[in-house]
Amino acid sequence: MKINTWFGILEIGSKGEVLASDPFPKNIRELALRSLSLRESRQNLPPEGFDLKAAALECKFVESPSEYYSLLHEVTLDAAKIQVSEALTPDQRIVQAVEALDDINETTNSLSERLFEWYGGYFPECGLNGEALALFIVKYGSRENVVPDDPLYLKARDSMGAKLEAADEALLKCFAESVCSLYERRKQIEAYIESSMENLAPNLAITAGPMLGARLISIAGSLEKLAAFPSSTIQVIGASKALFKHLRERAPSPKHGVIYSHPLINTSPWWMRGKIARALAAKLSLAARIDFYSGKRDSSLPEKLEEKIQKIRALNPRPPQKRPESGAKPKKKRRK
Amino acid sequence: MPDVRTLSDGIFEVTKGKKQLATKNLDPGKTVYGEKLIPVEGIEYRTWDPRRSKLGAMVLKKFNIPLKEDSKVLYLGAASGTTVSHVSDIVSEGAVYAVEFAPRSMRDFIGLASRRKNIIPILADAGKPASYAHIVEPVDLIFQDVAQPNQAEIAARNAARFLTKGGYLMLSIKARSIDTAANPKEVFTEEVKKLEQAFEPRFEILTARDLMPYHEDHLGVLAKLKE
Ligand SMILES: C[S@@+](CC[C@H](N)C(=O)[O-])C[C@H]1O[C@@H](n2cnc3c(N)ncnc32)[C@H](O)[C@@H]1O
Repeated sequence: MKINTWFGILEIGSKGEVLASDPFPKNIRELALRSLSLRESRQNLPPEGFDLKAAALECKFVESPSEYYSLLHEVTLDAAKIQVSEALTPDQRIVQAVEALDDINETTNSLSERLFEWYGGYFPECGLNGEALALFIVKYGSRENVVPDDPLYLKARDSMGAKLEAADEALLKCFAESVCSLYERRKQIEAYIESSMENLAPNLAITAGPMLGARLISIAGSLEKLAAFPSSTIQVIGASKALFKHLRERAPSPKHGVIYSHPLINTSPWWMRGKIARALAAKLSLAARIDFYSGKRDSSLPEKLEEKIQKIRALNPRPPQKRPESGAKPKKKRRK
Repeated sequence: MPDVRTLSDGIFEVTKGKKQLATKNLDPGKTVYGEKLIPVEGIEYRTWDPRRSKLGAMVLKKFNIPLKEDSKVLYLGAASGTTVSHVSDIVSEGAVYAVEFAPRSMRDFIGLASRRKNIIPILADAGKPASYAHIVEPVDLIFQDVAQPNQAEIAARNAARFLTKGGYLMLSIKARSIDTAANPKEVFTEEVKKLEQAFEPRFEILTARDLMPYHEDHLGVLAKLKE
């Protein structure tokens, strides 16, 4: 019988003895590529318990066990490197960008709060925060520099805030500059995600919106995984805490994860949200599959979704009699 | 001068102030995960943190560790190689076939594997042993730490293909990865039963102990093929 091994093709007898052999050339890259191509092959597998090393020695592919191991080590290392570099697909760049965006948001929020607190001592009446405050500080520094045609001129003139010394002013201005550049970076990453989504997952991008679509890919781990999820999973992606609670404590199952931020859901009345989430998740799942398997844009998707939503609205015009209790009675607990 | 006591082939207890689990460093001068290097009479020992390694915890929980200098090991769930590095120290004249399916973990693992000649890295799904049947020779020990719900089946499939007659299986069962809601004790009983009879080949359990206080809700198992 014929078998494939990483070092060559062998003809073996019923006891596993080598009858004939065709060893491959001892070229690391070539052996690595051959080895990778054998991964999916279900044919000509070595029989269970087959001693590859003994066979390699027998057919004189190598002279000694130590040569066998050192060659195998080099070949598998090269193969693994090839696989690792191939794993960085375009959707992985989106995943990285979404995570970077989350980090930037977190950092920006906490630095903005710091700036607000800090500058508040010198001009508490300014009424600005976030990027607007940072830009204001970069522009003027001390409130004494606010020009008369600025809408905040009077407030600045009459402020109860303390006097800003030169050293503090310099520090605050630099700090505000950093905050501004974080806001810039945030816009840049958002633009990057939007344009990448247009290319990589156009259907998901129009159905979910590019940011939500990117977030779904990021939480799933890849477009491939997202495409493989049933729509019931897509419906609760990002609700993992609630899901865990559901499994552990038999709490009611969460109705929606990150897709809750979709305008179709968050602008709908509460009694329709579960149904709309289900319909939306089904279309998102379809969109992810089309994106993963064909990549072609199907412009009828948003229309079909809209029709479905209209139906749900028509069938559920009024709230049900009673709002469901948020904590349905827990059934028997399995764990104390 | 630190005191060195052998616990099992290639596994030591080094006392320098306090007692510490250790292996002889096959890659002198280098650490893998922030462990300590302790030279004793020209030999460099590398401390082994049982809280970072199920196998390390199993040593301290007095499991028999069926490893020798020239053992061949199939390690399923290599992650970034914390434990694999110690197995590589122990089987200094043997080989560790280390399977891991997450490319991100493999990326970290490759650095380690390239410095240790007895590691054969394999990026593959341990649930599909046929995909690496053209690479792996018969082994003396299968060590499995994949934290997957179907781990008993994964163990059986790999054992069928690669475990020698007198070989052993060691695995770490994480209760939460089987059933997030159930009582760990019940999960363990179920999983042990599965190893004993659910799949071919069947296993005979030699030791089964929890890994407290090093790992919570984990069961360590040592088994061999049922005759
Ligand atoms: C708990 S960690 C292993 C830690 C490692 N044994 C150590 O002590 O250093 C589990 C690893 O198994 C990997 N894994 C899970 N399922 C797998 C599978 N079917 N095939 C291969 N690796 C798997 C995961 O990616 C993860 O890296």
